[in-house]
Amino acid sequence: MNANVYTKHAPLLTAEHITLQYGEKTILRDINFTIHDIHRPDMQQGQVVSLIGRSGIGKTQLFKILSGLIQPTQGVVKIDSDQHSVKAGEVGIVPQNYILFNHRTIYHNLKIGLDNATVKLTEDEKKRIIEDYAGTFQLTEHLKKYPAQISGGQRQRVSIIQQVLTGNKFILLDEPFSGLDILMIDKVIQLLIKVSTLHEENTLIIVSHDIENAAAISDTVWILAKEENKEGATIVQEYDLCKMGFAWQPEIRKEPGFQELISTIKKQL
Amino acid sequence: MLSLIIAEVIIALICWQLSGGGLIPTPLKVLQTLGKIIQDPSFIDNLFSSLVLTIKGMFISIVIALIISYLSIVPFFNPIARFVIKCRYLTLTGLTFLFTLWTQDGHELKLSLLIFGIVPFFVTSLLSVIDGINKQEFELCTTLRMNSWKTLWEVIIVGRLDQVFEVMRQNFAIAWLMITSVEGLSMSEGGLGVMLIRANKYVQLDVVFGTLVIIFLLGIFFDYILGKFREWLFPYTKLTTR
Repeated sequence: MNANVYTKHAPLLTAEHITLQYGEKTILRDINFTIHDIHRPDMQQGQVVSLIGRSGIGKTQLFKILSGLIQPTQGVVKIDSDQHSVKAGEVGIVPQNYILFNHRTIYHNLKIGLDNATVKLTEDEKKRIIEDYAGTFQLTEHLKKYPAQISGGQRQRVSIIQQVLTGNKFILLDEPFSGLDILMIDKVIQLLIKVSTLHEENTLIIVSHDIENAAAISDTVWILAKEENKEGATIVQEYDLCKMGFAWQPEIRKEPGFQELISTIKKQL
Repeated sequence: MLSLIIAEVIIALICWQLSGGGLIPTPLKVLQTLGKIIQDPSFIDNLFSSLVLTIKGMFISIVIALIISYLSIVPFFNPIARFVIKCRYLTLTGLTFLFTLWTQDGHELKLSLLIFGIVPFFVTSLLSVIDGINKQEFELCTTLRMNSWKTLWEVIIVGRLDQVFEVMRQNFAIAWLMITSVEGLSMSEGGLGVMLIRANKYVQLDVVFGTLVIIFLLGIFFDYILGKFREWLFPYTKLTTR
């Protein structure tokens, strides 16, 4: 597959002039970015973008604004091809601590996603879909277990699939690589690539401070930082990794150009 | 651990036996009296009366407390729930006259006072369970497109049922503690509390100690049974996060 052949189409998510203030304190200032629908020949290519910033910069607040859970002081987040304002429930979230319903088995946690999906399914159809996804994401043997009985990585998988089953095309992931060992990070990367290629419009937004891993699977990277003498974090730089030839390459970490990019980003934070 | 507990109990009993005698009955004397109490034909009636009153009071109290606690998430009802919590500091003795006027017979009076005494403790524990819910669980429900009713059901009602059971288990001790005081208000129905009051009146300290041992052992037994029920009904509570 030639990673250089792609086209960018209509916007799927737009953040326009997002500002967040608590009293006199500005947390986020005039944030603007657009995620476009990327097409690649002969495949379903979703979008994976990263918002990279230091801890405490306001990433989680931006995360909540993008998902419609909190309203910005100014600005608007628009989603889908019709670019309507985002409403809570239209964007899935996978929090850092992978919140699940502890009183439900993994099967039922996944079923809750389908129960509330836009498409109404019979119980048999739901069962078949859950089993299919569990098979694809190596969760079959854990379906009867409770969340407390599975590992952090498995919980993360359940949490992501739960959102996919709800029908959320947009999924925000808060620090998906945090607290994972190197082998687990590789597995998470594979999982995210798999989810992003399930549907043409699937869009994963990674909010992270892990520059290398986030950039390695993204098609676009935005740097969230504070500008000199200005209060509140904003987007200080955008990197179009498709244009730079760094997107969709499994061995991208070995490329000297990519490593240079990582060093440049570190300096910008 | 168990052997340590047994050893400590034996040491405590030996110390009691050696220092006892006189006014305070020795463990052997208490044990003998315990046998007599159990063989007494009125004992089963008294025990049954106390148990029925406690279980009835507990059941009604938990229903009332759950209604108050669940309603507390609606802003209008929150101050009411907070006021109920403060009612823990009201003494039952001062309210007996008022309850006597409101109720029709001795059984109703005892039951009402028991409920009035337990509900504030239940509500206190239940509100702390609700307050302790991670906000992210509500956010998860929103992203899973659940409406407010489904969220209430999944997160607060079903999701915390195991903790409601634990609250019930912990507060059973309070109900059990109150039963003896409440039973003294209307002695015609009997009860363990009545046995205790009568024995105290005639300074039958061996009977007092024997009855206390029965009340103590029954309390421990119910605590254990309710704990086991919780594990059986909600198996996930035993699991620890990996």
